[in-house]
Amino acid sequence: MQVGISAIEYVLGSDTVSIEELEARGLLDSPAARLREFGFSCARLSRESSYALATAATNKLLVTTGVDRASIDALFYAGATPACHALETSDPLSAFNYPVAQLQYESELSQARAFGVSQVGCLGLMASVMLARDFLLFSKNASRALCVSADLSPVGCKREMIYNVISDGACAVLLQKECERNRILAYRQITKGYYWNSIARKNEITAAYFPTARNIVRDTLADADLDSSDISCILPHNVSLRSWEILLGLIQIGREKLFADNIGKMAHVIAADNWINLRDATETGRLCHGDKLLLFTFGFGANWACMVLEH
Amino acid sequence: MAHTVLVTGATGMIGQALVPLLARRNDVGAIFVLTHRREYMGSSGKVMPVRGDITAGPDLAMTRELSREIFDRTTVIIHAAANTRFSASLEESRAVNLEGTKTLLTFASHCPQLEAIAALSTVHVAGKRTGTVCEEDLVHTAGFVNSYEQSKYETELLLREHMSELPISVLRLSTVLGSSTTGEVSRMAAIHHALRFYYNSLAPMIPGKPDSLVDVIAVDYAAAAVEHFAVEHLQAGRTFHICGGEDVLTLARLLELTREAFLRYRPSWRKRAIEMPAIVDLPTFELFARSVEEVGDNILRGSVAIIKHFVPQLVYPKIFRDVECTRSLQAKGLLKPSVLEFYPLVVRWLVESGWGERGTLAGGAGA
Repeated sequence: MQVGISAIEYVLGSDTVSIEELEARGLLDSPAARLREFGFSCARLSRESSYALATAATNKLLVTTGVDRASIDALFYAGATPACHALETSDPLSAFNYPVAQLQYESELSQARAFGVSQVGCLGLMASVMLARDFLLFSKNASRALCVSADLSPVGCKREMIYNVISDGACAVLLQKECERNRILAYRQITKGYYWNSIARKNEITAAYFPTARNIVRDTLADADLDSSDISCILPHNVSLRSWEILLGLIQIGREKLFADNIGKMAHVIAADNWINLRDATETGRLCHGDKLLLFTFGFGANWACMVLEH
Repeated sequence: MAHTVLVTGATGMIGQALVPLLARRNDVGAIFVLTHRREYMGSSGKVMPVRGDITAGPDLAMTRELSREIFDRTTVIIHAAANTRFSASLEESRAVNLEGTKTLLTFASHCPQLEAIAALSTVHVAGKRTGTVCEEDLVHTAGFVNSYEQSKYETELLLREHMSELPISVLRLSTVLGSSTTGEVSRMAAIHHALRFYYNSLAPMIPGKPDSLVDVIAVDYAAAAVEHFAVEHLQAGRTFHICGGEDVLTLARLLELTREAFLRYRPSWRKRAIEMPAIVDLPTFELFARSVEEVGDNILRGSVAIIKHFVPQLVYPKIFRDVECTRSLQAKGLLKPSVLEFYPLVVRWLVESGWGERGTLAGGAGA
């Protein structure tokens, strides 16, 4: 049985702010000029809550596809930070008010079982997609699952994390059984708890990033019975172009295969990048039927993940 | 008549192992140990530390009386002093390695009883050459990975110019690791620092190829070989490779052995799940190094600086032939310790001593 990705929609923060403006506002650690060298030009900042972004992305997908809402059997809700999983009020018991339940109700996904996916940083949506695939494979009567991520940069945080510019946004991904499109061929995730303290171990994370990324890409390709020359397109997480250029050297895939169109114009939308890129690469005609696609991402925690799709 | 030996660089890794060997010899009556910055520890009846500086002019910054005494008595000079800092500028490297040797040769020309000058060098005067490098090879146009290599190359050219008038032999060492019996490292060099970065998850990648050969030797073997060629088997005008020769590891195997040793001697290291550094091509490493230099903080910059000044040698694969050296040492009964046996001991010593911080390191963090 095959599970594929049939639809993706996303929304970004409404305010487009140049990195020079971010620098002027004191929201960067590195000089804007340096980040521009790394491929960034602006960030998308939201005035709305993460839940509002999640709702917008979900509704957009449901309207665009016209899918029967009652046919969705599971809803996975990902967010990198605890704030994205809370609908708190002044009442302490509001810590039990969960956005996934509210989204299930307000979006009329009445048959969907609801799950929150947290504590995996920028892997949230990719991990959700994998959990959704497993859910569909092991649930005889289930046919569709919806994964949604919604991320806002934490309050008080700058808009730069380890030399990457951060944007706000949400993305919805619909998975279906017997879907020919974007079939999931392989997935791997590595968690290295040694790096759990992302502040104290910033240097070690930077150093561990590359060899671990190289290894997980190699092993995921092997799981799919492919090698790097079989990959038609890499759908990246939108971290610095420089770090992608280094990683491409490690995994021996040419720069021309990297879909980097969105790094400059929307920066790193936490968990949503790979899926936004899959949608936009599809929309722009970059992908052909049967193309093998490589998705890679890293999240604090520390987690590395890689997925291979057949378009 | 017993030899009087002048040793420069006695506080270095080789010097510290060499002087006790010389002191034990019946045919060595006195050893002048010339030190510059560091104090020589371990004087004995035969060993006489003297302060001096090979870059300070023909008297080596000694008093006229002292230099006169050394001129008159010295029969053997072992020249081990060098600036081995791979990140040094070419000017800095030349100042000690080339100009210092020039000064020492002038000094040597005043020694009426001189029988031998053993000048320590490095197999890496071969620079970016690839393939087989023989002991007599020197001149090439392949270029160099760092200023240390270049300055030692230029020094060897100088030494060859003077071989007709002075009894000079050149002893080229490969990377000296530590003791073959205890693993102890008396002076931390770039390779030891690089291993520490790997241990601490700060070594993401190494330029080279998995099958690049890494030539390392034990310090006791190196010191015994220097003693042999300097005092016992004088071969003026010759060059010898004191190196692993055919007993070498590939880079991939070296990393595996390192990992195995970390796990064996510090089992708790396993839970960190630290990846082996990736072996990458030079452009990829250089892009990473440039990025770290531009934005990284000091710890990561330090790691990259250590690696970038010596490891790129691995991008230029070569094997050093040591036929003449091995033949001569085997005749004496001196066998080369197997790298597979002593390398894990060195890693164990580094791990258990906290890279010397919990042990009794004589030297600081030199190159």
